Parts: sequence; C-alpha cells; structure tokens
Amino acid sequence: MSASAKQPQIIKSKRVLRRTPLVSLSTVIVSAFIVAAIGSLPYLLGSGSYVLLLTGKFLCFTIFALSIDLIWGFTGILSLGQAVYFGIGAYLVALSLKINYAMDHPTRYGHKFPDFMEWNGLTALPKFMEPLISTPFAVICALMIPALLAFIFGVITFKRHIYGVYCAVITLAESLILQEFIIEYQAYTGGFNGITDYSNYVGAPFLWFMLAVTVACFLLARALTHSRIGTVLKSIRDNDLRAEFMGYNVANYRIFVFCISALMSATAGAMYAAWVGIVSFLDAGPVFSVEGVIWTAVGGRATLVGAFVGAFLIKGLEFLLSGLLADVWQLFMGALFIIVVLWMPDGIVGTIADWVRAWRRRTIKQIREDEDRRAFDQQHDWAPAGAAKTGEEAP
Amino acid sequence: MTQALLSQFLIGFSVAAILAISAIGLAVIFGVAGVINMAHGQFIMVGAYTAAVVGQMGGNTFWAIPASFIVVALLGLVVERAVIQWIYNRPLETLLATWGVGIILEVVMKLIFGPQLYYVGSPRVLGGGIRLIGRLPYPYYRLFLIGMAILMLAATFIVLYRTNFGLKVRAVRRNRVISGCLGIDTARIDMLIFMFGSGLAGVAGAVLAPIKSVSTTMGFTYAVNSYMVLVLGGVGNLLGVPTGAGLIGQAETLLAFKYNSVIGELLVFIFIVIAIRVFPRGIFGYYERV
Repeated sequence: MSASAKQPQIIKSKRVLRRTPLVSLSTVIVSAFIVAAIGSLPYLLGSGSYVLLLTGKFLCFTIFALSIDLIWGFTGILSLGQAVYFGIGAYLVALSLKINYAMDHPTRYGHKFPDFMEWNGLTALPKFMEPLISTPFAVICALMIPALLAFIFGVITFKRHIYGVYCAVITLAESLILQEFIIEYQAYTGGFNGITDYSNYVGAPFLWFMLAVTVACFLLARALTHSRIGTVLKSIRDNDLRAEFMGYNVANYRIFVFCISALMSATAGAMYAAWVGIVSFLDAGPVFSVEGVIWTAVGGRATLVGAFVGAFLIKGLEFLLSGLLADVWQLFMGALFIIVVLWMPDGIVGTIADWVRAWRRRTIKQIREDEDRRAFDQQHDWAPAGAAKTGEEAP
Repeated sequence: MTQALLSQFLIGFSVAAILAISAIGLAVIFGVAGVINMAHGQFIMVGAYTAAVVGQMGGNTFWAIPASFIVVALLGLVVERAVIQWIYNRPLETLLATWGVGIILEVVMKLIFGPQLYYVGSPRVLGGGIRLIGRLPYPYYRLFLIGMAILMLAATFIVLYRTNFGLKVRAVRRNRVISGCLGIDTARIDMLIFMFGSGLAGVAGAVLAPIKSVSTTMGFTYAVNSYMVLVLGGVGNLLGVPTGAGLIGQAETLLAFKYNSVIGELLVFIFIVIAIRVFPRGIFGYYERV
C-alpha cells in the first residue's frame, strides 16, 4: 500500500468505533433500575434509616473507586494516595460546614468558632480559614485544590517517566504524611477526633443529588474511555513505550487523566463530608487509599461498573459481617487481596464479562458478524496486510 | 548553638542507622529480587515479636538477632511459596497481594499476642551512654544501632558480591532467561533471596524492638520510610541504602529540630520528590540500557 492510501485510515477507525454506542440500551435499562431503586430508598426506609446513610456513603465510595479505575484500570497508574484528594475535599467542606454551624451554635464559652479550635487554645477563627465561611467557595476550593495538587504532582513525576512502583510508593507516602499532618495540627483539623457535630445534608434531596453526580461521573468516565483519548490511555497502559513511539505525548495524557481522577475523588470526598457529618484522618490515610484500590480490583479493573459492584459489595459485606467478628473481617480482607490477585485478576465484572463473551462467541449471529467485520476490514485495509492474508482474526 | 547542632547531627546519625537497618532487607527484596513487598513492615513487626518472646524466655538482643532472622526467613519462605512465586512478572499486583499478606500477619499476630504493647529491654552491656559533647549523653544503644547498620550492610555486600550464590543472584537479576539457559535454577534463587531479605527484616525487628514498644501496627511506618530511602538512594547498588538513609535521617532530624517532626517529614518528602525528578531511579539507580 502506498502512503497516500493509508491516509484516510483514521476516519475509518472512527467509523469502526462509532459502531458501538456510548451506552447500550440494556445498560441504560439496568442502570435506570438501579438508580430508581436507590432513589426510592428514602420512601422505602424512612429518611432517617441507617441503611440510607450507608447507601449515600457507598455512592461516594463508588465515585472514589471509579476515580481509581480511571487511572489504574485504564491508564495503568497505580496510585496508593488517592485518599489524599478525597480527604482534602472532605476536610474543606466539613470545615466550612462546621464554621457555619458554630456561628449559629456558640460553644460552651460563648465563642462563635468551632469547638475543637477552642479546646486547642485558639481564641478566634484563624485568618486563613475566613474564606471558608462561604460554603460555595469552600466547595470550589475542595474541588480545585486537589485537581491543582494532582496537576503539580503529575508534572513533577510523569514528565520524568516516574510511574509504576515508584509512583505507587510516593503516593503512599503522600497520604501517610497528610494523615500525620491532620493529627499533628489538631487545632485546625480536629486531630484524632476529626470534625464532627455539624449540620449535614442527610435526606432524600441530597441523596438524589449524589445519585445524579454519580451517574454524571459514570457518563463522564464512559465518554472518556470510549473516545479516542480512552484508546490512547489503554495503549499507554498496555505499552507506554510503544504509545510514545506512535507520537503521543504519554506524560500529558497521564497528567490529564490523573487530574480528572483527582477531581472525581475530591467530588466524592466533598459529598461524603456533607452527607455523613463526620470526617476523620482515616479518610485521608493510606489504608483508605488501598481499600479503594481493592474495591476496584474486586469489582473489575478497566470495567466502569466494577467500581460500583466492588464498593457496594465489599462495604456492604463489611457492614453485615464486621459487627460480629472484626478480626475475622480483617483476615477476610487480607485473603481477598491475595485471592483477587492470584485467581481473579479481572475482578467480578471482568470474569462475568469473559463468560458472557465466550458464550456469545458461540452463537451463529456472532460468527456472522465477525465474518462481516473481517470482510469490512480486509476490504478497507484496516487489518495489517500479513494478518489478513493468513486469515487470522483482525484486531 | 554549634553544640546543639552537633548533637542533632549525632542524633541524625542514629536516625539514619534506624532507617538503614529497616531498609536493608527491602533493598534485597525490592532491589535485587524485584518484589515489591508491602508486607515488609509486618516482617519487621514479626521480628520484633520474636525478640519479645526471646526476651521473655530470658535471652537478650544478641540472642534475638539470629532467632528473628530464622523465624522471619521461614515466614518469607512460606509467603514466597504461597503467593509471590506466581506473580513475579506482575509487579503492581505483587504490591496488592503482599499488602494482603501484611493485613493477615497483623491480624494473626494480634490474635496470638493480644492487643497490648510489649516492651523489650536493651541488653545490660549497652545500658549506659557516653558523653561525646558537653553534658548530653549519647546512649550506647544508639552506637550499637550505627554499628549494626554497618554490619548488616557489610554482610549483605559479602553475600551478594563475594559468594557464588550472590553471583547467581546478580546474574538472574540481569538476565533471567539467559541465566536459566546457563543452568541456574532461577526459581530457587528467587526463593532464597526472598528468604534472605525477609531474614534481614527480621533482624531489623529484633534490633529496633528495644527502642520502640512492640505492637502489631508498628511496621507500616518503617515500611514506608524504607521505600522512601530506596526511592531516594536507588536500588542499583547497595550504596543507595546508606546514602538515602543518611540524607533522609539527617534532613529529618535537623528540620524536626528547627520546626517540628511533621513539617520535617513534609519537607523531606518534597525534597525526595524533587530529588527523583533529577534522579528518576534514585541516586544509585539501576539505569538499564534498553
């Protein structure tokens, strides 16, 4: 083939991609059912029930797992410090709500600033926290500061080809340090006790809002991974050197997806603080970060639904089991890490998807479609010349 | 002022020694065997518990060192055979699996020894201290730690560079396939080097037990600090460990003296991130030609 004949291939590849819609009809139906089920929970259980509170929490965890799925499942960056962004988002919103709460509910000695600051010897709200009185501003900060931090971190590391193990270790240290920072500066962060006792937004309207944000995050992630950018991200995950040789700026793609992921984590954290009404240093720590990774791994890496399945399944099981046997639950979690890595690297959703694919492949319809596609590919020189001639399956 | 700085400098040396002691086992496992062992801190913890048991049976640290080496090396053998041997070629998943191993070890030790803290006394020989400068005593045990760090580094150096086994280890690390073709049992080498590294982690636990109360959660910080030492120092060469430990230890001590320990850690972390921008694989990194 001459060079000019190969030119329009990009357009054709678009045509091939466009064959699958952004969201298939069956997915829409199933997710509509799930959304309706979660959305109607306040009516089924009453708006003060514990299960409702848990469901809202799990929605935040789902977004958190989704953010990890984007960078780990699709781009191959294993970050063990994703809770840093979750924690910063959560703490900023919680601080803002707490400051506002304290203005209406004076402390024991009549001060109008958060009680934990009083205990730690402050006499007035610190100057740098005054902007947080405005909750919308605090929310904007809660989303933008993590994104900015992720950008700085990405520029420092990814531009120098630092990823893989090194990235994992550095992010782990990052979240450990944030945790220690929160404990040490208890006058400003509440320390070990965290931030509690403020008016949180638990109730049906906020649950629907969280549901809407979750759906929006899923759609965003789906659009991102389904686009050309997503294809590049997957190629970076599979072989970053080759992607670099193809002319893609691997570092920029990594930074971009890392920022999006941090933004999602921060969103989850901000909603978590507003919903649950308690934020502690554990929500910014390494253990929570790794927990998010294991939700993603159990649900299924590189499948967006996996984030939802993993977070709801593991946290749900923990809620059911850990009350009875806390140590055994820990043991089970440890074993789960090993089992998933050794026997189920694709996670629950990935494994089921494999079964479905294998079952479908056997049906005549699929065979016909495959033949059609192969003919299409051959006709348009989409497949590599060698592969088409020897009759191998086109990529 | 100079006296205060000088004494901080000496304290920094002992902090660096602690870092080096905890990192040396990881340098073998991570640097030479290429396994990202997230359970390293828990291995140290098991070593410390072994020292506590030895202490209750009447032995001191000198007895605990070989005991911990053997116990944790056997633990390493079990972990390697059960989990790690299947996932050598998937580094990031090794990380997750060994994290699981760490959780299991913590729970099991908690079930065996209970949630209370254990205290291990330092040997009577190392009880006192000397006055190096002014009136500030410098405990003998700190000097012992510095000596121990040097001793462990020397032992590792001898094993890796002066024995037949070490030669094979380095060959496998350079080129696994060719080493296998030349008749080296690569799986066995992997197993043995993992055992050796685990044993060193156990020794670290035994040596560090007297300076810190022994609990099931004591290991995690050591593991993260060890990784930072290796990230800064690099794993291409054993010199990375003392370099990384020395820089981090001194910097952290001085900054903790000037501000406080958390600010010190934060600044050291920023310093490390900037440093690896200059040396992406650490100062003594293993820069392989692709």
